[in-house]
Amino acid sequence: MNRFSCIFVILLVLFISMSSIAEENPSQTPFGQAAETQTSAPASTAEEYKFDISEIEKKPYHVGGYVEFRPVLFVLDRDAALYKLTFYNRHEGKTVEAYNGKLQLEGSLEKGIARLFVKANFDLQYSYLGWEHSKPKSMIYEGYLSLKPSSSLSFNFGKQTLLWGKGYAFNPVAFVSRPKDPDDPELALEGFIMASADYIKSFSGPLKTLSITPVILPVYDHINDDFGKINKVNVAGKIYFLLYDTDIDLIGLTGGSKTNRFGIDFSRNITTNLEIHGEFAFINNQKNRVIDSQGNISESKFDAKSYLLGIRYLTPWDTTVIFEYYRNGTGFTHLEMKDYFTFIDRGYDAFLLNGNDSMLRKAASVTEGNYGRPNAMQDYLYLRVTQKEPFNILYFTPGITTIMNLDDGSFQISPELLYTGFTNWEFRLKGTALVGQKGTDFGEKPSDYRVELRVRYYF
Amino acid sequence: MKKSLICLFALLIAVPAYAVDGNQLLKQIDRNLNPESYEMYRKIINVEPSGRKMEYTFFSVKKGIDKIAGVFLAPASEKGRGTLRLGDNMWLYVPNVGKPIRITSLQSVIGGVFNNADILNLDYTAEYDAEKVEEKENEYFLQAKAKTKTVAYDRLNLWADKSKKVPIKIECLTGAGMLIKTLYFKEVKDFGGGIVRPSVIETDSPLYKGYKSIMIFAKIKQRDFKDEVFTLTFMPNIESLRK
Repeated sequence: MNRFSCIFVILLVLFISMSSIAEENPSQTPFGQAAETQTSAPASTAEEYKFDISEIEKKPYHVGGYVEFRPVLFVLDRDAALYKLTFYNRHEGKTVEAYNGKLQLEGSLEKGIARLFVKANFDLQYSYLGWEHSKPKSMIYEGYLSLKPSSSLSFNFGKQTLLWGKGYAFNPVAFVSRPKDPDDPELALEGFIMASADYIKSFSGPLKTLSITPVILPVYDHINDDFGKINKVNVAGKIYFLLYDTDIDLIGLTGGSKTNRFGIDFSRNITTNLEIHGEFAFINNQKNRVIDSQGNISESKFDAKSYLLGIRYLTPWDTTVIFEYYRNGTGFTHLEMKDYFTFIDRGYDAFLLNGNDSMLRKAASVTEGNYGRPNAMQDYLYLRVTQKEPFNILYFTPGITTIMNLDDGSFQISPELLYTGFTNWEFRLKGTALVGQKGTDFGEKPSDYRVELRVRYYF
Repeated sequence: MKKSLICLFALLIAVPAYAVDGNQLLKQIDRNLNPESYEMYRKIINVEPSGRKMEYTFFSVKKGIDKIAGVFLAPASEKGRGTLRLGDNMWLYVPNVGKPIRITSLQSVIGGVFNNADILNLDYTAEYDAEKVEEKENEYFLQAKAKTKTVAYDRLNLWADKSKKVPIKIECLTGAGMLIKTLYFKEVKDFGGGIVRPSVIETDSPLYKGYKSIMIFAKIKQRDFKDEVFTLTFMPNIESLRK
């Protein structure tokens, strides 16, 4: 806890310094208040600033990235099913801490029509489990060769992250990428090894742009083997239209590693400050492994329909609202989830009684990538509200995000403070409360609260 | 008869002095500021009341009246962020997010007094109709109204240098006449290729008292691009257009 006291002292100093900036500007005018007309030009300051042409000289190579330090404090919920599953054989007290470090490195080399790009990610964590770091295989997030014979045609070969879909927090049509973490949707994701191309054609008239993106994604032992069934060559594709000022994508995936799936998405500005977007995915023969409260595992097969509808709205006083409804057709029902949690509770009771953890190990076997995936149930609401530069504090963006499970009424709520006022530095303080009754999605998460500070330095 | 001819002659002399075509003047101002299709580099500086500043370097390309795309080259935290504007549609590409998202003209991708419409600015004639022009001794005073409700500012009050036909000052107003910001055009410079225009735009706003943003221009050059450059699919590659 002493380490967290230090963090709070650092934050206090940061916000005092920010407040002093605000105090230097006492005559702040809130947006919307009648403003007086200014007729005189300010004293010229342009001559103080130089724009050296050498700053914009193009180099054939680029190296950059960021380093990150992210300490997290978890306040545990010792009655929650997932706490019991994770900590049943440990005694960690009421709180646990995790100290996360990250180095994300990017490099590119360009010659003629060819460009080589690599993005590597190295995670290091110290927690109650001791030191852990990224597996070498997962450290290269992207690494591909790009050939661009013309501005309308390009080919990419290698490990790439193709993020399809228009949703901010959820993307049911993102068939060839790993799932996003809705708690932090802007985090970079590890890609898959594939060959892809982009062909773009522009038109005048209602159809302004057409682009076609075919993808070949092989899955073999040691090549994309976490994508799906091995020894298959999958084919995916996206056709994009900008039609009547609306972005539309038609998306498909076939080939056997995953069942066939097709989707459509759209995005459009209704007014300058209101955007609507949506996605629809049809997944053929989706399989779910379901465990009942007695521990019997069964497999269900069905055609799933997932969809998302969302808006992004900017108010006149610079508040951005992102609101999404997500129907996860591949998700578990409230009853199925309750059975899973009940089985964990029974397993934990058995462990306390006789030290036998076989039921808990059985529950763990259906958790990874199944019950344990993010947003594993069926109906979710996502709401994120951020206020840009309140009280005229430049580069300061407070926000609040909530994800609610509509099936069981549980939710998580995360207020945050983001400050980017020092060149290449980013500070984010975020708290999360997980609220829900027994047997609910967020109520059974291992912690009740968590607080994290994220400090990033870009270079 | 003689008197009538004198009157007619006097009218012929007098009328041109009051018959400056506002839209024609706006068009001339547009062409004097930039070629219709170009590439350019800008440095955008946000200055806080304390004097502390943040600098951004931005490369942008434009084609025709309603297509503009750009990418941030510096600082490192913003590098690779791409923007695209097709008429009223605007998108932002953040490398980590990996896909373009729609943004609005009133937002600012970098914070500060300049918003997206200022950074991805189209020709004035594409967005505004001149309503009234007054000719003064050394300058024109032109009032313009937005063609549609989707334009960032409902009205402009523009003062232009009479001989060079480039802006000196522009007030950006709401429909009700509330001042949103003022742009000051300074330091006229010869960029080559017949482009002689202010190389610095300063802006301040009563909504951000004490704050100021500055745009410094460099290497403005006429250049033609294919339409495919101005598409969502091309956004991750805008930087490849740099020579």
